[in-house]
Amino acid sequence: MKKLVGIVGTNARHSYNRQLLTFMQRHFQDQAEIEILELTDVPLFNESTDGSDSPVIQNFNQKITAADGVIIATPEHNHSLPSALKSILEWLSFKLHPLDGKPVMIVGASYSVQGSSRAQLHLRQVLDAPGVNASVMPGSEFLLGRAQAAFDEQGNLKVSGTVDFLDSCFAKFLKFVDVIGELNVPDAISYQPGTYAVHATGHNGEIPMSVTLSKDRIENIQIDTSTETAGISDVAFERIPKAIIDGQTLAVDAISGASMTSHGVIDGVATAVKEAGANPDDLKKRRGGTTAAQPEAPVQTLDTDVVIVGAGGAGLTAAAKVLQSGQRALVLEKFPSVGGNTVRAGGPMNAADPDWQNQFAAIPGEKHTLKALAELDPQTIDPEYRADFETLRGQINDYLNQTTGQPGYLFDSKLLHRIQTYLGGKRTDLNGHKIYGQYDLVKELTDHALDSVKWLESIGVQFDQSQVTMPVGAIWRRGHKPMGDLGFAYIKALQPYVESHGGTIMTETAVQRLTTADGRITGLIAEGPAHQRIEVTAKAVILASGGFAANVKMLQKYNTYWTAIDDDIQTTNSPAMTGDGIELGTRVGADLVGMGFSQMMPVSDPDTGELFTGLQVPPQNYVMVNQQGKRFVNEYGSRDELTQAAIDNGSLFYLIADDEIKKTAYNTSQEKIDQQVAAGTLFRANTLADLAKQIKVDPAVLTATIKAYNSYVDAGEDPEFHKNAFDLKVQVAPFYATPRKPATHHTMGGLKIDTGAHVLNAGGQVINGLYAAGEVAGGIHAGNRLGGNSLADIFTFGRIAAASAVADECAVETE
Amino acid sequence: MKLVGIVGTNATQSTNRQLLQYMQRHFADQAGLEICEIVDLPAFNEPEQHVAPAAVQTLSDAISAADGVIFATPEYDHSIPAALKSAIEWLSYTTRPLINKPVMIVGASNGSLGTSRAQAHLRQILEAPELKALVMPNVEYLLGHSLQAFDANGDLVDADKRHELDQAFNEFVAFVGLTEKLTPTETFFEQSRQFSWSQITNGEDL
Repeated sequence: MKKLVGIVGTNARHSYNRQLLTFMQRHFQDQAEIEILELTDVPLFNESTDGSDSPVIQNFNQKITAADGVIIATPEHNHSLPSALKSILEWLSFKLHPLDGKPVMIVGASYSVQGSSRAQLHLRQVLDAPGVNASVMPGSEFLLGRAQAAFDEQGNLKVSGTVDFLDSCFAKFLKFVDVIGELNVPDAISYQPGTYAVHATGHNGEIPMSVTLSKDRIENIQIDTSTETAGISDVAFERIPKAIIDGQTLAVDAISGASMTSHGVIDGVATAVKEAGANPDDLKKRRGGTTAAQPEAPVQTLDTDVVIVGAGGAGLTAAAKVLQSGQRALVLEKFPSVGGNTVRAGGPMNAADPDWQNQFAAIPGEKHTLKALAELDPQTIDPEYRADFETLRGQINDYLNQTTGQPGYLFDSKLLHRIQTYLGGKRTDLNGHKIYGQYDLVKELTDHALDSVKWLESIGVQFDQSQVTMPVGAIWRRGHKPMGDLGFAYIKALQPYVESHGGTIMTETAVQRLTTADGRITGLIAEGPAHQRIEVTAKAVILASGGFAANVKMLQKYNTYWTAIDDDIQTTNSPAMTGDGIELGTRVGADLVGMGFSQMMPVSDPDTGELFTGLQVPPQNYVMVNQQGKRFVNEYGSRDELTQAAIDNGSLFYLIADDEIKKTAYNTSQEKIDQQVAAGTLFRANTLADLAKQIKVDPAVLTATIKAYNSYVDAGEDPEFHKNAFDLKVQVAPFYATPRKPATHHTMGGLKIDTGAHVLNAGGQVINGLYAAGEVAGGIHAGNRLGGNSLADIFTFGRIAAASAVADECAVETE
Repeated sequence: MKLVGIVGTNATQSTNRQLLQYMQRHFADQAGLEICEIVDLPAFNEPEQHVAPAAVQTLSDAISAADGVIFATPEYDHSIPAALKSAIEWLSYTTRPLINKPVMIVGASNGSLGTSRAQAHLRQILEAPELKALVMPNVEYLLGHSLQAFDANGDLVDADKRHELDQAFNEFVAFVGLTEKLTPTETFFEQSRQFSWSQITNGEDL
């Protein structure tokens, strides 16, 4: 049976057009399934604030895409179609084009005898517009005049002649749907056989791809992923080529979380197809042969001991630990690939390991830092930390006395890690609310971080013992860096461990809600990849779904720290980080803590949030200018200082560099630079004045700014912003401007937990059966998270959550 | 002469806004042109009471106080933008300030057609009984390739297009003067002001 969508062309509460569609739905139920869509929640179209991704527009998009045809019932307002109907058609012709080639039938009802005749003509013209490009059925115009008198009490059309005419119009439309379906079948495609070298767009720029075409088939797609960040886009590089080859089509859905790389691969194949003499648009119209209606998927029921939400570092750690305790573990991940944000991490995790660190020599400045710390007035330390601070002071003084007159070794202790985590997280928000890490949680973290390193080694993560590293924002050298592959190194060990020890990982499975009975958590309900309902019963649920740095609305809602968070702010995170676990938890009564605080990465790509585009040079070499071409901050400032200064200056700013500075960039190659200049994402000019014009600032202002900056470098002092250190001047052409904007990086707030990772309710009581670990939980990092502490957090609390869940809920079995 | 220019879009960047700004400056000696935006108007939703929200009332008051109105419309999908249609629906459903008001239609688009189809729709819309505007006949001003049409000072680059606009505007000024003589007494339009969509339920198709 054909599936049709009926659109009620008005947002009015009472509508005869709605009544007409409802009648058609009932009257034709043996011939077609008509789903009625309402315009009630559709916002007015605005090209400046794209809402194409909003749930309401996506609902229209998906339903229309899946339907065989569309019926639009329009009233007439002022001789034309209502603005509400025009608005949805504008949304559906802007970024999305679900009506392209779709069979459409127009009907209309009105108070007057006109029966919306003029609105229907306008609607036809609108549907003919190239952005909409619907296939509107010609003739068979159904106009229902004097609609107020047309229906009986059951909502049926009274006049049998009207019903007969509607029957004939509808019968014709069903045939029309078939005819148009054939029209949409593309002509046979033929290629000039060969292997075509093209490019795909990867996460880190363009990457080589070769596409082999025979006379009538796409035979093979090879992508060289050697320059890509492992773990982020792998799934796109595997699945997209397979889907293209299997379906011999370019109408392939992007993989969520890797949509840029998905489209990059599709576009690359399109280029090859074009070079081979075929029209890629024909392949984009060709459906993959999967449009045949799939049978309703049955409800799937699963039973396990511990179910874990999220397959990032925290979730996989919890799963591994559950399995080690002899219990069953099931991990649900909403994205197609595992790894979450962990695969985007730089790699080093913090853990004080003095036996190891002491083998390294201290570097200049470290003793000074320790001395300054020991000299802090204990009264400025919050009471719960004061005893630890006093003990630490003793440790530091012993160390300083012991190494007087020598460079000394690298000092560290659990207490130094604890006090630095505490001091680093101390912040005051815009409302004067002070926050710092909750003592017992910070103690738990710093006491057990090293155990986490050892545990990771035991399941196969190898650490580079030859160097102790300090990730950005870490304050101290205590980073344990895994060998190879940055953050992916952890996932590369954890995933196979879980799978080979009997754990199950289900991807593309989004948890919708937790289930409860008698005040305890009994499992959850999720939606699987085939939209099937999955019901899981479990003894415990561990939320390990990450923070909400990719959910701007949520950030804005809770923010109390930044003066403003732009609607179009980007994120360094995986797009999966939308705060799902926080939502799941609060719906069963969980309390939240520290939600107003978030961390931004000040120097991110304005369009993608990426850190490693443009020219990334050490801060002593870059000059930051605002949209007026003036410096506005000490480039050596902390992340928070740089971020707030950027927000105060309209968010967008530029890193100015010259040809000498370019040589200090650690992220790029000449080829990538040329690509970005060509793409307009990086600016290059032979004079500062020309560069200024390109970034739309006054050439005189930028030239004066750089002249002043160069004079500060000569003088070794910056009287304006007191930059701590500078190295190179900006003087050798060509000059570069890299546009930057702050991007969201880490959300500090989350579910309130205790030291056993139990989730607490507003009364401070444990919610039985519910646990949380990682960024989804709050209270540890408070106002600011030290670099390297997020990994320490997830591996430590991931294990704790698993241990608690097993001890609390699974031991009962043995009775 | 006091005119109101309505920017027919809620977009941040609009060459129709630019066109009105150019006209405002360029014709400053002949008429005061107040530019009105529709971006802050809510989406029309047929309220129970026929009362204009504050933003609609403000726009309506400006129109009522003016001698004539210039609509500058983009073209979205062969018609006027939903945002402009929504503004017109508000006016037609509540205060009806366009009744008997002289109107000139202009439009700018980046394509070569310069909003010809949107302007034709707008003409038909403004002739609806709830609106009854006096749209100037015979003259249409279509500005195609509008992204390249203005220089850095916001002036029209092309001399022919400048000249054409001068002529159209002069005709409109004359048209406004002419309509004053045409206008019957206020009471003539009383029935139009009373018109309501549901009135036709009684079989009175106006």
